[in-house]
Amino acid sequence: MNAQNVGKINFVGALITLATIFAAILWAFPIYWGIISSLKPEDEVVRPYIELWPDTLTFQHYWFALTQTQIGRWYINSIGTAVGVTFLTVTTSMFAGYAISQLNFPFRRTLYWIILASFMVPTQVLIINHFVLIANLGLLNTWAGIILPQLIHPVIIIIYKQFFDQVPKDFREAAVMDNAGEFRILFKVYMPLNWGVTTAVSIVTFIWSWNAFLWPFLAVTKTELMTITVGITQVNDAFGVYYARQLSAAVLAGFPVALAYLLFQRKVTEAITLSAGIKG
Amino acid sequence: MSEISLKNVSKSYGAVTVIDNLSLDINDGELMVFLGPSGSGKSTLLRMIAGLETIDAGSLFIGGKPCHDLAPGQRDVAMVFQNYALYPHMTVRENMEFGLKNIKLSHQEIDERVTNAARILEMDKLLDRRPSQLSGGQRQRVAIGRAIVKKPAAFLFDEPLSNLDAALRVRTRVELSQLHQTVKSTMIYVTHDQTEAMTLGERIVILNECKIEQIGTPMEIYTSPRTLFVAGFIGSPSMNIFSVDLTQANDTLQATLPDGTQIAIDMDVPAGARYDLGIRPESVLISPTAADCTGVVKVVERLGDRTLVYVELKDGSQLIAQDAGSSTVVVGDTVHLALDKTKIHLFDQNGINVLHR
Repeated sequence: MNAQNVGKINFVGALITLATIFAAILWAFPIYWGIISSLKPEDEVVRPYIELWPDTLTFQHYWFALTQTQIGRWYINSIGTAVGVTFLTVTTSMFAGYAISQLNFPFRRTLYWIILASFMVPTQVLIINHFVLIANLGLLNTWAGIILPQLIHPVIIIIYKQFFDQVPKDFREAAVMDNAGEFRILFKVYMPLNWGVTTAVSIVTFIWSWNAFLWPFLAVTKTELMTITVGITQVNDAFGVYYARQLSAAVLAGFPVALAYLLFQRKVTEAITLSAGIKG
Repeated sequence: MSEISLKNVSKSYGAVTVIDNLSLDINDGELMVFLGPSGSGKSTLLRMIAGLETIDAGSLFIGGKPCHDLAPGQRDVAMVFQNYALYPHMTVRENMEFGLKNIKLSHQEIDERVTNAARILEMDKLLDRRPSQLSGGQRQRVAIGRAIVKKPAAFLFDEPLSNLDAALRVRTRVELSQLHQTVKSTMIYVTHDQTEAMTLGERIVILNECKIEQIGTPMEIYTSPRTLFVAGFIGSPSMNIFSVDLTQANDTLQATLPDGTQIAIDMDVPAGARYDLGIRPESVLISPTAADCTGVVKVVERLGDRTLVYVELKDGSQLIAQDAGSSTVVVGDTVHLALDKTKIHLFDQNGINVLHR
């Protein structure tokens, strides 16, 4: 490689770096703007020009959200439903993935194709069916009503199936020769080899569920049962819209997810890569 | 008692038959080797005994008990896999304990068995390591240890040495042989390596194309191959095989080699038919004086204790002869070859040794 080529590569590399930084700023700016606006007095928020830093820094909107709304209750609802959705989704997907990957039973292949085909049906299309079904079951305005329709995540079943497919056949055969039943093979042999996947899909499912808005919005009408994503729509009063107040509630709603992402960044990226690989 | 008996067993995958109406008896405490080329059905047969493959037809008895419908774990056999199949997330001890915990043995019993197996296999210090921290040979021992702790009626080995380097393979082979003498259990050992089969096996089953070609002790198989396939498969280098015509001349049966050499055959077989004549290289010696035939040396392989000489006969056909380790024969020499007539094998048109008909 001669000096001319090195120069060319460095120039291209610098351009790519600049473009990446610009894209990052473009992407991050709304978040910055939202956080900064939530720290401004209401009259500063509605000024017709851009101020990148507040004249007066205030936490009054956060104080309002934390003391004058049911945000604590919404947090609990969100945590409860997200944990429930995560636990049930991951558990059922793990069993389904194992069965499709490792067990022989009638219509196994057909079942797999049905699960694959369900990718093509957007959740929104099923919303009305879900609503009627949950209403008929008398589960509207309950945690169960919020949780049940969110358990449909075919991608996690496929992720598990793929990982179980990759476990060498000898391990299963050795365990079978050692008198191990299917539950013991799953939990003592297959799952320990796939804890990384389970961690990754659990985090991502938790984030999906925490951020879910449409279904919890339809399934719950009582303020005390709302999840935080739905609850923040309630942070207003009869005298109009308070942007800073609503933004502070939105920041509080997004905070746990942002924290989870920062703490488990590598795992989340891994899970997104896994699901993207399957979807693609 | 842990004899194993297969009666008319068959196995097919769709239209492809992999084991065809096969019967076999393995004695209690015997080390039996299944030997054959790839695709001969030897591993399938072992897996059928283990229960990892179903038996489509026929019966399997282990220790006199019908087992063909039992789950693998209930057949009282332990298997050592080609790739060892050690669970990577468990320590050596946990790997060995896994099967014992499944059958809910007491902690004391489990501990005793693991300690005992570790002592037999000299791996006491490896018990707290994970498989990734072990060498290939050590993993092999752990795999055997995992089988030993079960105290099974029979051990099944599926090409367990194929992942080891040559030196370690030889050492482990000896250790396996010693282990058999120690535990005195019935063992079935699958391999495609004839050296392993000959050195380990008390008896060998030669399989080819889903069928048994021959069952016998290593020396029976070597000295008296039942079929042309066995004759060619066993022995390194392979037996010299020539297609010959048998003619009767003055009360003597004569075989004519492709180069026209006439060899007297002392066997009671009908003349006027075509046969395959087989003779092992060690039965073809370089003679200082004119002997049965003459040829030109094309390749010389010096193995130290002996020398293999590849000789081209007049018609271009090749014959492998054996000479002393200190042989002075070189490529291009014209040599005289003496054939030991008592070591000649004749195979009929169906490939069956005439002595076995």
